[in-house]
This record gives sequence, structure tokens and C-alpha cells, in this order.
Amino acid sequence: MDTELLKGTLSLLILSLLSRKPMYGYEIVVAVHRETDGAFSWREGSLYPSLHKMEQGGLIIGEWEEKETGRKRRYYHITKKGRATLKEKLQSWSELCSAVNCILEKSNGQA
Amino acid sequence: MDKLEHYLDQVCRGIGGPRAMRRHVRQELREHLLDAVAQHQAAGLPEAAALDKALEEFGQPQEVRSELEATHGQRMMAVVIDKALEWKENTMKAKWLWTTWAHLALSLVIALELFFITFAVTFIVPRFNKLLHDGILDRALLQEPGWSWMPDFLAALSHVAGGYTTWLMLLGIAMVGLFEWRVKSENKPFMRLSALGSVAVGLMVVVLFTGAALLVSFCMGAPATGRLARSFAVDQVAKIDASVSAFEQALAKQDWDACGDHADRAAQSLDQFLKVAPALPALASDKDAQTVDALQAFVTAANKDLAEARQAIRDRDAVRVAAALQKFQHSFGPLREAAKRQAP
Repeated sequence: MDTELLKGTLSLLILSLLSRKPMYGYEIVVAVHRETDGAFSWREGSLYPSLHKMEQGGLIIGEWEEKETGRKRRYYHITKKGRATLKEKLQSWSELCSAVNCILEKSNGQA
Repeated sequence: MDKLEHYLDQVCRGIGGPRAMRRHVRQELREHLLDAVAQHQAAGLPEAAALDKALEEFGQPQEVRSELEATHGQRMMAVVIDKALEWKENTMKAKWLWTTWAHLALSLVIALELFFITFAVTFIVPRFNKLLHDGILDRALLQEPGWSWMPDFLAALSHVAGGYTTWLMLLGIAMVGLFEWRVKSENKPFMRLSALGSVAVGLMVVVLFTGAALLVSFCMGAPATGRLARSFAVDQVAKIDASVSAFEQALAKQDWDACGDHADRAAQSLDQFLKVAPALPALASDKDAQTVDALQAFVTAANKDLAEARQAIRDRDAVRVAAALQKFQHSFGPLREAAKRQAP
């Protein structure tokens, strides 16, 4: 998939996944890969600047948690502001998809 | 896992913000990569290949770093260090070249310094001492406080270089041998460079003192040379005068052979006077160029007149000889006057 398209939707995907449960970075990568059957393939390093930016914007909060294995992981939780933003983004995405689909269907009919 | 830490160094080096935050970012990225490595190993890859794949999937360190810097800002010092490390890595590849060049350059400097000292001690200092002994350089001036160290230094240098050269060379060889044999430190090339540099600096001090002692002493003692030049010039003028007087007396007697001998002697003295460059300026009343130039013109004219007189003697032509002598006396007069004046 076009990575430019993915960049625009990355924050929507992250907020959407975190709205289900708190996740750490690698878990988010694995979830995206699994749920899209690998359709989304991006540089994994790009995830963290996005996470940190969203954290700075108050959409999510990161917290360190230590597991029984001794490994520490930074779990990200969606905030109230994050949920509101997700709602707005979903609305915008839905409108965008409808508009794009409308044009594509008409164009497809003429092709 | 050094490769992993090196990768994290490259990614996290330039990130701005508080230290604790930077530590958290690095920890978070490390945990991600360890998870990815474990995942790939579980899929059957060996550890090294699993790490390579995890790093590849994470992205080029420069790209990840620039994205993190866009979020957290950039540390100026980190950028400077980054550039310095990059430069170091590039130059370290040519380490042997720089080290060899530094050794060669310092060795050449030491060789040149030793050559100068040897040349000075062998050829210049003995001549300098002879000039001093003969009084051509004014010894009294060099015995004044502040200057007396110069001849003393040259004497000490001659003594050491003349009497202990062999021992000094043996000592140097022994020290080099001991160093190369006993020292096993990883800093050995730098220690060698430091030793060479110290020797070069020490010899440079000796060279500077030697040069200063020779040059300044010579300049200080030079007035004695000026007095010698005047003395020589006055002596030559007197000789010319005596020869010309004898020449005139011989002419009055029409003794052509005596005329020829006296004229030759006068010409010979004038020729010697012209050959010694400081003689003419030493006769000038003041040292401005015009006076020296004027005297030079008179001497040239006198030389020409004397040549005419000698030719006339060979032709046995008394009238021409008398005319040439009269012209010579006119040309030589200012020189005679200059020689009679008190020395400045």
C-alpha cells in the first residue's frame, strides 16, 4: 500500500486500536499487520514519532509497566481527548470514503 | 547485541529534550527491537539474522532519527558530536598514513636541527671565534651584561658537541632501543610521537640560541669591522699618494722605468682599494648615498687617469703623462681630503 496514504491514516489507526485496549508499540505493529493481512507495511520506526506526537498533543498517555519476564513495556492509553479526536477522525474518514467512492463509482461506470 | 546498541546510538544521538525523556525513548525502541528479534528467532532465524531483519524493518537510523528529531527537537551539541564522530571515523581509516607522516615530519625536523647544530659547531663557530680573537668583532661589546651569554653559550655548545658527541649518540640509541624493546602499551605510537616532538622542541631551542648568539654577536661586534675598513682605506690612500709622489719625481728625471714601476704600484693600491667594498663608504664624511656615490665617481675617474698615465709612460710621451697626472691629482684630491678627516 502507498506509504503516503498510510501516513495520513496512521494516527487514526493508532487511536482506533488503543480505543480497544492499551497497547505497546510492537503490539500495535503486530496488530496492524495481523488485521490487515500485511497490507500495511511501513517502517516500524515511524510509529514512535507518531505515538510521541500524539502523546504531546494529549491524545494518548504512555506508562511503563514491568512484566513477570522482567521486560518493561510502555503501554499507551487513549485519553478522553483522544476518544473525541477519534470520533471526529472517524466521521471525517467516513465522509472522505463516501465522497471518494462516489467519484470512483461514477468513473468506473464510464470506464 | 553491540550492533543493537550501536543502532540505538545512531538513532537517539541527536534527539532533544530532557535526559529522562531521551532515556525512555531509547528504552522503548530497544524493547521494540528485542520483541522483533524474539519474534524472528521464534520463526526460525538465528540471532544475528533475526537482529538484522528487525533493524531493517525498523528503518534506516538516519530516517528514524530525523522523524524523532522532528517530534522532540534536536540537540546542537549532539549534531556537533555527530559530525566529529563522522570525521573521526573517516580519518581513522587513514590512521597509518597520518601516523607515518607525523613520524617522518618530526624525524626530518630533528635531522635538520642536528645538521644545523653540527654545521654551526664545525664551520661557523670556529670562524666566529677567530674573528673575535683577531679583534675584527669587538669583544668589549660582547662582554657587556645581557650579551655576555652569547659567546659563553657558543663555547659551551662547542665543548659539548666536540667532546661528547659519541656519548650523546650512544645514549640516544640506547634510549630508543630500550623504548622499542620494553614498552608494550597500546599508546606506544603516541608515546613515540611525544618523545620525538619533545626532542624536536629541545633541539629547536638549541638552534634558536645558536642562531641568535651568532647573528646578534656579529651585528653587535660589527662596528669594529667599520673601523678596520677605514684604517685600510687610509692606508691605501697613503700608499697611492706615496707611489704617485715617487712617480712625479721620476718623471722630472725622465726615468721612464722608475715612472712605470711607481705608476704600477699606485694602480695596484688603487685596485685593492676598489676591491674592498666597505673601504669607500668608510672614508665618506657622512654615510648618505650621495657622498659615497660622489667619492665613487672620483675614484673611477682617478683610476681612468692613472691608466692613461701608464699608457703614456709606455709611449714615452712626457706631455701626455704630465697631463694625465694633473687630471689624476684633480680626481684623487677629494679622496685624499676624505682620508685626512677625523674618523666619525
